Amino acid sequence: MAERALDGVRVVEFTDETGAYCGRLLADLGAEVIKVEPPGGGFARHIPPYFHDQQGPDTSLAFWVQNMSKKSVVLDLDSPDGQVAAKKLALGADIVLDDRPVGYMAERGLGFDALHAEKPSLVYTSVTGFGQTGPHAGYAFSDIVGQAMSGVMTLAGEPQDPPNKVVGTQADVSASIHAAQGTLLALLHAEATGEGQHVDVSAQEAMSMSQETAMQTWDLQKRNRVRTGERGMIPVALPAVGVYPTTDGHVSLFVLAPGGAEFPALVDWMREKGMASDLDEEPYASLVSTLNMATITQYMMNPDSAQEVIPQLAHINEVVKAFIATMTAVEAYEEGQGRNLLVGIVSTPETLATNSQLRARDWYVNVDFDYLQTSMEFPGPPYRLSETPAVITRPPRLGEHTDEVLASLS
Amino acid sequence: MARLPLEGIRVADFSWFGAGPIGAQTLATFGAEVVRVESETKLDSLRVVQPFALNEDGSYKTGYNVSGYFNNFNAGKLSIQLNLNTEKGQEIGMRIIEKSDIFMTNFTPRVIDKWNLHYDQLKAVNPRIIAAYAPMQGITGPHRDFLGFGAVLTPVTGISYLSGFPHRPPMGVGTNYPDYVINPGQTVTAILAALRHRNKTGEGQMIELPQLESVVNVLGSAVVDYLANGNIQTRNGNRHPAAAPHGAFRCADDPESVESPDRWVVIACRTDDQWKALCEALGKPEAAADQRFATLADRKANEDALDELVSSMTADRKAEEVMETLQAKGVPAGVVQNAQDMLDRDPHMKARQYYQYLDHPETGRAAYDGAPARLSATPGFHRSSAPTLGEHTMDVCERVVGLTTDEIADLLAEGVLV
Repeated sequence: MAERALDGVRVVEFTDETGAYCGRLLADLGAEVIKVEPPGGGFARHIPPYFHDQQGPDTSLAFWVQNMSKKSVVLDLDSPDGQVAAKKLALGADIVLDDRPVGYMAERGLGFDALHAEKPSLVYTSVTGFGQTGPHAGYAFSDIVGQAMSGVMTLAGEPQDPPNKVVGTQADVSASIHAAQGTLLALLHAEATGEGQHVDVSAQEAMSMSQETAMQTWDLQKRNRVRTGERGMIPVALPAVGVYPTTDGHVSLFVLAPGGAEFPALVDWMREKGMASDLDEEPYASLVSTLNMATITQYMMNPDSAQEVIPQLAHINEVVKAFIATMTAVEAYEEGQGRNLLVGIVSTPETLATNSQLRARDWYVNVDFDYLQTSMEFPGPPYRLSETPAVITRPPRLGEHTDEVLASLS
Repeated sequence: MARLPLEGIRVADFSWFGAGPIGAQTLATFGAEVVRVESETKLDSLRVVQPFALNEDGSYKTGYNVSGYFNNFNAGKLSIQLNLNTEKGQEIGMRIIEKSDIFMTNFTPRVIDKWNLHYDQLKAVNPRIIAAYAPMQGITGPHRDFLGFGAVLTPVTGISYLSGFPHRPPMGVGTNYPDYVINPGQTVTAILAALRHRNKTGEGQMIELPQLESVVNVLGSAVVDYLANGNIQTRNGNRHPAAAPHGAFRCADDPESVESPDRWVVIACRTDDQWKALCEALGKPEAAADQRFATLADRKANEDALDELVSSMTADRKAEEVMETLQAKGVPAGVVQNAQDMLDRDPHMKARQYYQYLDHPETGRAAYDGAPARLSATPGFHRSSAPTLGEHTMDVCERVVGLTTDEIADLLAEGVLV
């Protein structure tokens, strides 16, 4: 068996949602991660959908993906016995990870100060909505609150719709990814010096980098970026730019952007399929031959030429749309990219599962679920480390390791 | 001041755009010396993309050094100009790698081929190197040469299909979302894990982070739901399977919110008690008794009516007031903030001083995103603002590569250090 990057590292985590993916990343990299859960499990064990609609704490798919490769111990942290066991467990760890409300751990004798006093080398990472300090530190948190308060949601969606959140729990995931970095930095420092420390991660801060340029736009220009929907920042419909329906889904085209083959290459393809329509005739032919962002910008700067060219661009776009609509999304994507055209498939869960790149790379991993008498495929790890690969095993059943772990304490 | 965790570590940063440079910046924040290799002959386009700093008359500053987009991802680094399309440029690049602990790139596999930056080639001169590659689709596979950037990656990873409202097309999320936290963050995690392994064994290694794989790993249950159950999840707006109400609700306009006066608050009720608390806090206690909304199952079954009711409670109030009122009762709620809020109006962001303001010779004082995590004993911070293009060419050539002034002059004349 290959060595693992985090061999010999023990993590005890008190997480439900915001910090859970951090623990999973550490577990996949080889740390022994023991998840301490309340009787009945936390909120995340009760989020649909479930495996084969079998509702229960051991079958929530949303829980699974954030808790692969861990162990589970059930302790009631509101009971003195539970607190004693939790403290013993935590003091035996190299890393404690928590996402409990600020103060919750300290009130139970499990806070950073108490544990660090007894074990100076301990790395203690707290992952919460708003961090350990500041006027909102005690605010109630849920992923969508982080997506909103980080400045990211305001950028997504049509202007007339409510702002959109990004799929899944991206504020939680962002916080966990930042927590994994902070935890490993602190671990390197602890292993070099013997000095542990408290790592404080705020989901609001963690996700805020995903504002892209909005922060700098306000800082430098005192303008707010707003959501611009399907059209993006371009005021008129441009050919081969945006979302296009296919026979079975959608593709996104960026053909006019720099970086790929230019627009005439798309028309060559359309001509081969007998779908170029009247684009080889004037007034379209001469427009098509020079079409890119730079020429369009020139047309648009002159109101007269803009007025002439806008309906022509709209017509060309309709011809492109009709062509794309004859293909499946995978065909448009793979053949378009084969011609160096900037085409992105709008992947669905199904086309991700069958994606020929991911399949050729054997990315999906088969995970054994002995307790369900089955095995199933899971998305693989985010990275491949040549000497110390990440390994993914099934998530623990609620309390599966309680006896084993508690026995090792006494 | 405590020694930072990465002091003494040198990073050869052969990356560009967002996903690569942000990760290298994090390493700089925690003490690494990061040498950003760039060239006017293959310019990182972010250097010439908005937002630009303004002149006093309100016009945009120009040149390679005034983009907030670029600068925010490159603080604390050294910039050397090196033309890797020349043989001598590649030689000098390899000498930087030889003197480094970590190599990072998000160039395409084709460029890796052309510039002789394969792991085997790096390892031959520096067996201890940790070499991190972050191509779009992977170094191998039938799609390895597919073209793309963040805007293409968003649909290809499934984010577009799964985000937004069901009655809208899969248009994406308004940004090149995977570039800023997911991919740079995962890259750094892998590098730090590899660094620990090297500390234990002396052994370097290669890291491959295909951006597609890294992002599909964080989509939540959607792909697993297909693999395990055959279900194809789709866009469900702002809703949540185990919470209701769950979404963004319109509040009173705020004319002081520049260019975006419409204000929204998000609310997530996970329990029946939170729902009752919301009804009372927002002045409609009778709604708590409405049988259509009594339990989570009821509220999910009548969610359109529920959303309408909640909207009627928030419509005339300030978003901040709704948030504070609900938070006082323990109900998760937050304002849909914009960048003006983040920098100037959110009292919490101000109190925690997340943004770091740095002087820059061309942009003037500007805000930078702070360190991704706060380490109590070894806090990360930007030691300098972003470098101007080639600002440290001389320093890196002399101190890291070991060239003499005469050699450097020759290389400048030959078009290698441009």
